[in-house]
Amino acid sequence: MERREIIAIALFLLATLGTIFGVFAVEKIRRNKLYDLELIARAPEHGNWLPQEFTVSYDTEVTMLIRNIDTATHGFAIPQLNVAAREIKAGEAKTVTFTPTQRGTFDFMCTVWCSDRHLEMRGKITVE
Amino acid sequence: MKRISLLTVFCVFCAAFVYGEDRYLEVRAKRFAYTPSIIKVNKGDNVRIRLISEDVAHGLYIDGYEIEISAIPGMDGHLTFIADKSGKFMFRCSVTCGEFHPYMVGYLKVGINWNLYAGAFLILLLGIGSLTAALKANENSHKKLFGVIPLSWRYELTKFKPVRALLKSRWFPFTFILFNLFVFVIILIANFVGGYSTGNYNFGVMMVWILWWFLLMTFLVPLVGRSWCMICPFPIFGDWLQRGKLISVGRQKSWGLNKRWPNKWRNLWPLVILFFLSTWFSGFFTVRPLAGGVFLVLIIGSAIVISVIYGKRTFCLFVCPVSGFQGLYANFSACEVRVKNPEICKDHKPKTCVVGNEKGYGCPWMELPYDMNRNTYCGMCMECFKTCPYDNIALNVRPFGTDLVAERKHTDDRYKRRGLDEAFKALTMMGIFLVFFRAYQTPSAHFKDMIRGTTLKGFLTYIAEATVVDFLVIPIIFLLFVFLSKKASGNKEVSLKQAFVNFSYCFVPLGIAIWAAFSINIILANGSYLLHVFSDPFAWGWNLFGTAKVPWSPFLTGVMPYLQVLIILVGLAFTLDYGFKFSHQTYANLKEAKKGWVPMLVFLLAVTIFCLWLFIG
Repeated sequence: MERREIIAIALFLLATLGTIFGVFAVEKIRRNKLYDLELIARAPEHGNWLPQEFTVSYDTEVTMLIRNIDTATHGFAIPQLNVAAREIKAGEAKTVTFTPTQRGTFDFMCTVWCSDRHLEMRGKITVE
Repeated sequence: MKRISLLTVFCVFCAAFVYGEDRYLEVRAKRFAYTPSIIKVNKGDNVRIRLISEDVAHGLYIDGYEIEISAIPGMDGHLTFIADKSGKFMFRCSVTCGEFHPYMVGYLKVGINWNLYAGAFLILLLGIGSLTAALKANENSHKKLFGVIPLSWRYELTKFKPVRALLKSRWFPFTFILFNLFVFVIILIANFVGGYSTGNYNFGVMMVWILWWFLLMTFLVPLVGRSWCMICPFPIFGDWLQRGKLISVGRQKSWGLNKRWPNKWRNLWPLVILFFLSTWFSGFFTVRPLAGGVFLVLIIGSAIVISVIYGKRTFCLFVCPVSGFQGLYANFSACEVRVKNPEICKDHKPKTCVVGNEKGYGCPWMELPYDMNRNTYCGMCMECFKTCPYDNIALNVRPFGTDLVAERKHTDDRYKRRGLDEAFKALTMMGIFLVFFRAYQTPSAHFKDMIRGTTLKGFLTYIAEATVVDFLVIPIIFLLFVFLSKKASGNKEVSLKQAFVNFSYCFVPLGIAIWAAFSINIILANGSYLLHVFSDPFAWGWNLFGTAKVPWSPFLTGVMPYLQVLIILVGLAFTLDYGFKFSHQTYANLKEAKKGWVPMLVFLLAVTIFCLWLFIG
C-alpha cells in the first residue's frame, strides 16, 4: 500500500476510534484522580439522585462531582454538615469538597425548585 | 369640533411621549411561556415588572435593554426600568428551565415601532426603485445585475498556481473532512452522553443546530454554495467502501450493488419530501441531545447503506435531508466550479471528469463537469480538478445568483429537473421558515407544546397544519399571483406551470435572506453557550479553554433588528432584480415582461413586509 494511504487510514482511525477511546480514558483517569464520589442530579420524575444513599469516612476529606444531567437547575446541600453547592445548571457539573466532622446519617437535598416533586428530591449520607 | 378632537389627540399623544406613566405588570412564567406574553407600554413609561414563577426557576432578560431578573416559585423577581427605547424587543428566559428554554420568549412593545415603519418604507422605496428600473429596461438589461455588474463577469481563483495545486492535491479537501470527522465524533459522544438533558448546555446540540445552521445559512451557502458538502464527513465511510481506498484512487466502480437511482427521482423531489419530513421532529432533535444523536446516526447509517446499494454519491444527491436547500440556494452563491474552455472538452475522449483516471474519480456527484452550468448538483468535491489533464476546470468568483437565469440543459429535461421540484423546494423553505419562526421566536406556548409533542393529538395537528401550509396554502397564494402576472402580461403561449416555476426562483435570494435573519437572532442570543460547551463538551466538569464558567450573555441584541432589516433589504434587492429577469425569460417580449412583472413585484413586496413584521413588528 502507498504511504499516503497508510497515513490517511492512521489519521482516520485517530479521528474516530482514537478520539472515542482518548476521551473516555482521559475521563476515567481524571475522575479517579480528582473525585472520590460521583453524584448525578435528576428531578424525582427523571430518576432522582443517583446514588440516593452513600457513605463517607469520618474526618477524611471528600471531593464530590455532582453532575446535573437533567432539564432544570438543581442545587445540593447537606445542611447538618454545612455543605452546599448553590446552583448547578442543567448540563453542568460542580465539585464539592468537605471534611465530615460528625458521625451519623444525614439528609442531603436539592435546594433549587426544580419540579413539582422538588421536595422529594433528597437522599441520605452516612458518615462512619 | 373636529379641530378640538384632533388637538386633544395630539396633546395626549405628546403627553404620552414626554411624560411616562407608572406601569406595574405581573408576568407569570411557566415552562416555555410567559403570561402575558406580549407587554405593551408607552415610551417613557416607568415600568415595574414582577416575575412570578409557577413551576421551576425562570428568568427574564430583555433584548436591547439588556436587563435581567430571575424568580423561583415562592420568590418573585422585581425589575424596574424606564422604557426609553421604542420598538419591539424580545424578552427571554435567562435560567435554564427545560429543553425549550432558549425558545421561551415574549415580546415587549414600547411606543410606536418606528423601526418597522422605517423598514417597510425602505422596502417600498426599493420596490419603487426596482420597478422604475424595470420599466426603463431595454433588450440588454437582463445581462447585468443591478444594471451595473455584467452577469458574465468571472474572476478565476485557480489562475493562481498555489490554489490550483491545492485543489489538485488528494489531501484537499480530505484533511478538512478528517477534521470535521473528529468534530462530529465529539458531537456524537456529547449527544449520547448528554442524553435527556437540555440542549443549550450540550456540545452536540449547540454545534449543529446553533453554530452550523447559522454558518450554513448566513455564510457558507450564500458565499460558497455547497462548500459544506465539500467538507461533510458523513459520506467518507461510503466512499471508502465503494472505492476500496480512503484517499488514493481505487475502484472507479463500486463493488456494491451499484444500482441506478430511478430516473423520475433524479431531481429535488426526494429532498423536498425528506427535509420536510425531518422538520416534523425539529422539536426533538434540535433541543434534546439524545434525539439529536439518533438523528445524526440515522443520517450516517443511511449514507452507508445507500452507498452499498446505489452508485457514487446517490445519498448526497437524493437522500440527505439538508442537501436540497443547499443545492437550490447554491445557485445564488458567489462561487462556481466550471469549465474554462468548452472547445478543449469537445475533442477530449474519454471524458476523464466523468469516467475518472489514475489521478481522481469520475464525478462522484454524477454531473457532467464539462457541460455543467448550475450549482444545484455540484458538491464541490474537487475531483474534476484532479482528473482533468488539461487543467481546464476553474474555480470562479462570480456575481451572486447568475445560475438562477442559466439556460436549460438536456439533462434537466431528461430527469425533469428544474421544474416543480425546485419550485416546491423554494416554496416549502418559506413554509418551514414560518413553522420554525412560530415555534422558536414567538411566544406561542400552544404551538411549542404541539411541536415538542406533549400530546400526540397536538403533534399530529401540527404535522397536518404544516403539510397544508407548505404544500397547499403557500403554493396556491403564489399561483394566484402567477396567474395575475400572466393575465397582466397578455401572453397566451406560456403555460401557467412554466410561469410558476420561473417565478419561484424569486424565493431563492429572499429565502436565504429570511433564513439568515432568523438564524442571526438565535446565534446572537444563544451563541455564548458555545463558550461553555467548547470548554466542557461532555458536561463532565472539564474546563479545556477556561470558558466553562462563562455565564449566558446575549450579544448585540440591541443592534439585531437593524441587522435583520439590512439582511432582508439586501435579499429583496437581489430578488427584485432577478425577478424581472425571470419575467423577461418567461414572457415573449420586453413589453409583456414589464406588464407581467407588476403583480409579482407587489406580491414579493407584500411577502417581504410580512416577514419584516414577523421579525421586528
